[in-house]
Amino acid sequence: MSFVDIKGATYAYQGGGNGEIVVDRIDWTIAEGEFHCLVGRSGCGKTTLLKVAAGLLTPTEGSVHIQGIRVVEPSAQVGFVFQTPTLLEWQTVLDNILLPISLKRKLEPRDRDKAAELLALVGLTDYAGRYPRELSGGQQSRVAIARALIIEPLVLLLDEPFAALDALTREELQVDLIRLCRHRKTTVLFVTHDIAEAIYLADRVAVMEKGRFRHALTIDLPRPRAHDVRYSTRFNQLCLEVRQAMDGA
Amino acid sequence: MGTRIWTWGLLVVFLAGWELACRVTGISELVLPAPTVVFLTLWNGLVSGYLLPHIWLTTVEMLLGLAVGCGIGFVCGIVLGETEFLRRVLYPYVIATQVVPKLALVPLFIVWFGFGMTSTVVITALICFFPLLENTMTGIRHIDPQKRELFRMLGATRLQTLFRLKIPSGLPVILAGLRVAVVLALVGAVVAEFIAGRAGLGAMIIASQGMMDSPLMFALLIVITILGMLFYQATLLVEQWLLRRHLKGESQ
Repeated sequence: MSFVDIKGATYAYQGGGNGEIVVDRIDWTIAEGEFHCLVGRSGCGKTTLLKVAAGLLTPTEGSVHIQGIRVVEPSAQVGFVFQTPTLLEWQTVLDNILLPISLKRKLEPRDRDKAAELLALVGLTDYAGRYPRELSGGQQSRVAIARALIIEPLVLLLDEPFAALDALTREELQVDLIRLCRHRKTTVLFVTHDIAEAIYLADRVAVMEKGRFRHALTIDLPRPRAHDVRYSTRFNQLCLEVRQAMDGA
Repeated sequence: MGTRIWTWGLLVVFLAGWELACRVTGISELVLPAPTVVFLTLWNGLVSGYLLPHIWLTTVEMLLGLAVGCGIGFVCGIVLGETEFLRRVLYPYVIATQVVPKLALVPLFIVWFGFGMTSTVVITALICFFPLLENTMTGIRHIDPQKRELFRMLGATRLQTLFRLKIPSGLPVILAGLRVAVVLALVGAVVAEFIAGRAGLGAMIIASQGMMDSPLMFALLIVITILGMLFYQATLLVEQWLLRRHLKGESQ
């Protein structure tokens, strides 16, 4: 049985009349521990689909199941990383990472240990006591990912988390993200408009346009993927395939 | 540092010009007393202790009014900011109470509370209420939508969202309201004393007018100005302290 199961998910904005359909009868499944990417142009409905999967938006029709349980509201089993780091500027890096736990219950020493471990994994041990504005964009994104992972979610949903970063920082973070998710066998759905990013990260890529999936492909590049994979012939063939699907060829 | 010299230099030039003008024209002390005369009056008033109870009374009235007005304004701002229904129902009334010139209510308050401190405090509180209400409401309503979604995603309760996201996030705006309230509070207290006070700096101004004692009136104006500047600076310090975490890394 699949781990994440999206069945006929449809979402329409409740405007005047029938409302505009943003996500149109999407079916998709993700097996446990797999990394899937969703690519598409701005406004194609990919972020909306991700929010439906997160339980932040209720689908107009259809459903999303995670481990066989229907998603009706945000749950602690799902981590979400937003387009911007969305850190609380008045709290330290450590407190930001601990936020998901401190909202649920009183903090215990083991929570701090776990936060310290995550900080080490994202290479920010020395920054625990700093404030978000004292960090670079890439460091802020790392904190946001650590915050999403501290509750040890079964599923991690990411909404173009690296879109605002420069190319080199983005590549570093992609490597880190794969490492972190493999480490815990987290199932991932990652939304992006960057074709190369999608292919580098994913086991499977879906191309979305006007609320529908136009194309889906399995990325057969072996793992672990080194940096030079990005310049291989196969990588470029896959990029072209996705690109042509986006162009509607 | 350079600008500070200019600021003080300007004051010296201004005072010297004023003094010179008074001496050269020989203008009556009743119309425009020379700075030396004013400062002598001020000095005597302070040393003899004549002015001190009045300064104290006005300060207490202002602080009480500020505390009550800001406290109620803050709470009402949160309630109206959090409840769409109440905001829609009550906001027109809030505006209406603010459009009424509050000082025009002093005669009524004298009937209700009598002459003296209570009336002045009530007026000051009414004046401070609005900036806090308005800024608190604005501050807690304009929250980054992604941060709201983050708190929803993390399953935060409404109270948690209020205390751990909305109030800290709106704090800079709320404190800007406090700064406005402090300035208005002093003006409110002094002007309310014009009408309702038997003592206090405002009442003294009216008394000095009755005694045709212009140097005293000027001395009082200086006291009020210094008082206002001190309170404003104190508010800035409080603001900096409360926002010390918000400001971390801002300058970089």
